[in-house]
Amino acid sequence: MTTPTSTAPAVDATSVTETQEAVGRSPGQLMWLRFRRDRTGVISAIIVIFFFLVAILAPVIAAVYGKNPYTLYGQDIPGLLNDYGYPVAPNGGISSEYWFGLEPSLGRDVFTQLVYGIRTSLGIAVVATIIMTVLGIVIGIVAGYAGGKTDYFVGRVIDLTLSFPQTLFIIAFMPVVDSILVASNEEPPVWLRAVSLTIMLTAFGWAGLARLLRGQVLSLRTREFVEAAKVTGASPARIVFKELLPNLWTPILIQSTLLLPAMVTAEAGLSFLGVGMGELVPDWGRMFLRATQVYRNDITYLIFPGVALLVFVVAFNLLGDSIRDAFDPKIKR
Amino acid sequence: MNIRRRSAFALLAAASMALVGACAPGNAGAPAGAPSAGASSAAPAAAPYKPAVITLGTAEDSKGPAIAPEGVVKGGTVTMIDRDDYAHLDPAQVYVNTDANMGLLLNRGLTGYKRIAKGEYKLVGDLATDAGTPSDGGKTWTFTLKDGVKWQDGAPITSADVKWTIERMFAPFVTFGPSYIQQWLTEEDYKKAYKGPYDGKELDNIETPDDKTIVFKFKTPHADANYAFAMAGYSIVPKAKDTKEKYDQGPVSSGPYIIKSHVVDKSYELVRNPNWDPNTDPIRGAYPDVWKLEFGQEALQITDRLVADSGPDQTAFTFYAAVPPERLQQVLDDPNLADRRMISPSPYGNYYYFNLDRVKDQKVRQAVNFAWPSKQIQQTLGGPNAAALPTTILNENTTVGYEPYDLFEKTTKPEGDIEKAKQLLAESGNPNPTIVYAYNQTPVQEQVTVVIKNALEKAGIKVVAKPLDRKTYYDSISQTKNEFDLYWGGWGADWPSGSTVMPIIFGPVSDGGQNMSHLNTPELSAKMKEISENPDIDAANKAWMALDKEVQEKYTPLVVAENRIATTLHGSKVGGAEIDPQQWVVSPNTIFVKK
Repeated sequence: MTTPTSTAPAVDATSVTETQEAVGRSPGQLMWLRFRRDRTGVISAIIVIFFFLVAILAPVIAAVYGKNPYTLYGQDIPGLLNDYGYPVAPNGGISSEYWFGLEPSLGRDVFTQLVYGIRTSLGIAVVATIIMTVLGIVIGIVAGYAGGKTDYFVGRVIDLTLSFPQTLFIIAFMPVVDSILVASNEEPPVWLRAVSLTIMLTAFGWAGLARLLRGQVLSLRTREFVEAAKVTGASPARIVFKELLPNLWTPILIQSTLLLPAMVTAEAGLSFLGVGMGELVPDWGRMFLRATQVYRNDITYLIFPGVALLVFVVAFNLLGDSIRDAFDPKIKR
Repeated sequence: MNIRRRSAFALLAAASMALVGACAPGNAGAPAGAPSAGASSAAPAAAPYKPAVITLGTAEDSKGPAIAPEGVVKGGTVTMIDRDDYAHLDPAQVYVNTDANMGLLLNRGLTGYKRIAKGEYKLVGDLATDAGTPSDGGKTWTFTLKDGVKWQDGAPITSADVKWTIERMFAPFVTFGPSYIQQWLTEEDYKKAYKGPYDGKELDNIETPDDKTIVFKFKTPHADANYAFAMAGYSIVPKAKDTKEKYDQGPVSSGPYIIKSHVVDKSYELVRNPNWDPNTDPIRGAYPDVWKLEFGQEALQITDRLVADSGPDQTAFTFYAAVPPERLQQVLDDPNLADRRMISPSPYGNYYYFNLDRVKDQKVRQAVNFAWPSKQIQQTLGGPNAAALPTTILNENTTVGYEPYDLFEKTTKPEGDIEKAKQLLAESGNPNPTIVYAYNQTPVQEQVTVVIKNALEKAGIKVVAKPLDRKTYYDSISQTKNEFDLYWGGWGADWPSGSTVMPIIFGPVSDGGQNMSHLNTPELSAKMKEISENPDIDAANKAWMALDKEVQEKYTPLVVAENRIATTLHGSKVGGAEIDPQQWVVSPNTIFVKK
């Protein structure tokens, strides 16, 4: 059955009907073809690209729209908020002036807050994901390829990192960072928070990818083509870059597309818990936190950051799924 | 359509349904900042609040029983729900308002506050026949005990018990209670002068010529000593039954109730004290037969329970758990709750202190005062129903002879006068000063900080907002060598007189002390000493009010902060519930259970 000769006529028959102008296709092209056929994947990709565009073009959007996320419109302009600090107009103060309404109490513009909030969340998430992926690749391959004591040692570090109560640690550690690094009569700068958040998220996020790649490398390095390369005297660098890495791109790409939305939610989660960006920086997590306090009187304010976060995370996760399907059509559910 | 796609569509559908369902109504009420918003028309309950009137009662006023609230019913069981159990039961260790309130059910003192009508109180004799007789220009105070006042075991309360009560407050284990009387009897560092009665030594300036008479001889004149004796910390402890440290676990009752059971941090059950005679007590009504106190619930849960008002919660109320901001609009807008809510601004003074060691230019301090966004802060805190905007250092609730003044035009321009601030800054020679504003890092304070920063920066003041850890906030700002320019702090009067506020917040400067503006001039100190020792209490109260204004005019050491207003609910079958304007807790004295 599996011998090529016995099925030759059958192969011929199919190849005639399917590949009339037979073109050689690279795996990348094949993947692209399969991806384009996946409607969910394409829609998700469009949504994700849209979010990235909004993040990049936030200042342009704000300029065209004529508002910024920092002015306290509700407090500066009388008549927008009532005595309790809630928007007077229905639906959280939505009007032609304020498309998504006003923030309760402080009276900032929700639309620009949301648009600039994407920047904060995505910026931190993208940087953290890139660093994490690089770290994961390096550590995973080193552990898998070197084996022995290195593997054992790295394995234990990964175990420790994975089992560490990271959220608790970050909550406890953030104020300490501020008090050590910031002079007592200075304001903690915004970049410091962003950098320390990125470092914290990275420090706990690389281990999953590293463990996955280590396993892959362990099984790959005993395969014939690697053995063959070793026998022909290839340098370790060549083996890693030319023999191993090309076989690892699929899990790396899939993992990092799934890591990114996880980081977006993690960042929002930390802001929700009060250790994210400060009150002056637009942030989805903090909007969400405020919204949960005022939802009884202003449900609209809960919906915008909620739906935005939901749509983004779902779209990115579906995109990750589609990419995996496109790379590896055998795993079809 | 595969499963994944279907679920994606389902999500999309759910999201769009959420959007459709999001047609929320607008929030009714007067828009803040509208020209007529001075007297808020937003809430039905925002009738102008009248501060409490406290006067001195006569011997006739000091006779029992207490004036009953309208429609009073005796008997029944009332439930009190709160968050925390009381830290101390030994009167000598009581300073906190909630502990003091519990003390009203169990202990009696020489004097106390009798409710005459809503918002009207008189200082009367509680165990004493009247509110004391001063002589020797206010240096000597004489009290006579009433007939028929007894401990829970039936033993009479004597002048020896009163003397013992004051003497034991010098003992080393008493660390939390008030210290006024002790200092007046001896010296500033009173624990050095006398070590308490347990080793047999007595204080000879407390005299007991007979079982009913007690005479205090102070070193300096104190015209308001009878107010000091009304503090819960000076409630009487029996000489014969004093168990020293162990007394904190359960006092011998002289009040209307005794403790039947107490599960720490969980509950109390109080039943009647058979030896308490209502005819000797002008203060406590003690209408319910049984009190059940429950602890361990947060303000939000308590509010929701009292709003629901179901079953046993109909006879429940809370001493201290005020409606949290997130339920305020709901509670205040509900007409069904109108007769079940109590509203009272806090009796505490709240200030944004300038650090005078760093902000040396008074013009800058005045400019900050003019630019201060009082109205916006009020809105951030929940509007005029959640915070009042006082303009004086002394609180209207706790100052006899209160006189309002408004130096920085806060009544006409509560949103701040940026132009005036700019003008003052120009005169100061530094039109763009930097102010380091330190704040307690809570979610609400983060928002208030945004408001303050926004307003002051409009006037050209650069604000460096410095968040401080909640646990160490007070430690950080009460360091004399701190590196901040402006920070919030509060202080409450111990009795309605400037003498328990001004000499403390402008008193000695020390690490951990209460003088956070570091304003301490010999001239001011001398003036405060003079007023404190004035034997004419009315003249003294007038002088404190005048000094209040003078301090703000001459030194401007602070910005008067917003004053929180507590809204508290009670169950539908609880009658006579009222927030005590001085203690800011619901008074147990008038509570009764409706049939």
